[in-house]
Amino acid sequence: MRGVFTLTHSSKKRKSLEKNTGAGYLFLAPALVFYSLFFIYPVIFSFVVSTKRWNMLVPLSRARNVGFSEYSYLLKDQMFLGILGNTLLYALATVSSTIVIALILAALINNAKLSVLWRFIYFTPVVTPQVAIGTIWGYLYRPNNGLFNSILKIFGIKPVYWLTDANVALISIIITAVWAGIGGSMLIITAGLKNIPQDYYDAAKIDGAGPFRQFFYITVPLLSPTLLFLTATGFIGAWQVFDLPFTMGRNAPARSVMTVSWYVYETAFQSLRMGRASAGAFLLFCVIFGFTLIILWLFRRGGIKGYE
Amino acid sequence: MNKRKAMKIFLEVIRYTIIIFGAFWMILPFFWLFSASLMTPQELMSDTPKWLPEKPQWGNYLQVLKKIPILTYYRNSLIVAGSVTLLVILTSSMAGFAFAKLRFFGRKILFSFVLSTMMFPVFIFLIPVYYLMKVFGWLNSYLSLIVPFAVSGYGIFLMRQFIMTIPDELLDCARLDGAKEFKIYTRIILPLIKPALATLAILTFIGQWNSFLWPLIVTSTAQRLMTLPVGISRLSLAFSTVETQHLILTALVYQVVPMVILFLYLQRYYIRGFVLSGFGNL
Repeated sequence: MRGVFTLTHSSKKRKSLEKNTGAGYLFLAPALVFYSLFFIYPVIFSFVVSTKRWNMLVPLSRARNVGFSEYSYLLKDQMFLGILGNTLLYALATVSSTIVIALILAALINNAKLSVLWRFIYFTPVVTPQVAIGTIWGYLYRPNNGLFNSILKIFGIKPVYWLTDANVALISIIITAVWAGIGGSMLIITAGLKNIPQDYYDAAKIDGAGPFRQFFYITVPLLSPTLLFLTATGFIGAWQVFDLPFTMGRNAPARSVMTVSWYVYETAFQSLRMGRASAGAFLLFCVIFGFTLIILWLFRRGGIKGYE
Repeated sequence: MNKRKAMKIFLEVIRYTIIIFGAFWMILPFFWLFSASLMTPQELMSDTPKWLPEKPQWGNYLQVLKKIPILTYYRNSLIVAGSVTLLVILTSSMAGFAFAKLRFFGRKILFSFVLSTMMFPVFIFLIPVYYLMKVFGWLNSYLSLIVPFAVSGYGIFLMRQFIMTIPDELLDCARLDGAKEFKIYTRIILPLIKPALATLAILTFIGQWNSFLWPLIVTSTAQRLMTLPVGISRLSLAFSTVETQHLILTALVYQVVPMVILFLYLQRYYIRGFVLSGFGNL
């Protein structure tokens, strides 16, 4: 019976191999139409715009061609380089701190009492709108009557100008972003922790390894695929950051917390310089692309075979 | 031996101290938000920050409804997030079915293409998609907030992974009985992937509910379409006077609470999707 079944199955499969090409494209049709309209076309359009001087009020065909002059302008512009620097610093600091803190907390909470409760508490900011988080933290960061400075005062520390000091504002926003992101990374790391066989820890204990050694010699290496995943996806999100700097950085000194997304938004939709905004977007995209390749290469060299 | 035991207890104490200390900081902003939403403007602005209001001003919650069209924001957010969610689960399950179970020319390349779209940052698309919306004449309608999010690369990926776990034999039996692919999709695939659809639905819904940049751009000229995050973020500009500033925080509670409750209620589905992907914010 079983034999007959597999036989019909395999011959049927070969048949369906030729058969459902039409059906395949039919089921994909909505996605394919969408991607041509909202992905391929925009990427090409955006690149064309980046070589024009255009304000969106006239048809694109009537816009003046300026070649790559917007790119060379931006690469010499101190303000844009500062914004690019903010975005890089934000992404590096947020992603690395979030993962390190989440890793430690996940390892501590795994198998702890009330672990479900802890995970829920740490996760709540992930479902909270970033705009709301930014506004709440904006109040907590107030220089004179904010909660944080009043806590510092108890310890006799002078008030910090969290969001109005150009040297501190970006760091304050990074702290908020890490606070908001820990729970998400923790959840994914916890899932990774559950996949590590308990035998490894038992064997390590017999060999006399303490909790710290177990963490660095078993947990961290075996989690590297998870950590690579978190790094790669974390950076994709962090490069695009808009909500937090935009809501928290309104009173920050001139552009000390501006990120590329915010710059594109402002240049395109407030100054109506579509060409310059697109060129800025493409410049960061090149950085991101190179960066992603480097991360993948570094992790590969780190000896991760399991991720292939 | 005794020394070892003492060491173990010491480490456990440190462990729970860190966990509880962290949890305290996670809760603090939410606690303060709720507490401040019940304060008088004077209490909120006083020089010595208050942790709790002297007398809770529950009236703030009614006052804010009178001053801002929060219900309109709610309605807009519901319409947009709801429609996007429906479209995404439809298009993702269809494309996921094609990638997982149908054989056709170019399947592998198309799937890699779908995956690679997730790497592209949103800011590349702002200008061209806005222009498209303008050309289509959609800038004054919900369509501009909904259609650009109707397909999700992440959703397609998630659905494909789930549908691949359905045995081929099941589909082939139905094919032997003369079922067409459309019938297989509606009668076999959809019922079997219900939990996955729930996961994708809640991830999409929360992501859309919280989405800010695109609605901010589109509704700048069409205020009646404003969603909650845009509407409330505008308050911080409009309500900067002392007498009304406390209402911003009350309005924020209206924005935050539904998502936290929804998450509490559907935690299981949300966490599963989150773990499977890590793309929490798509």
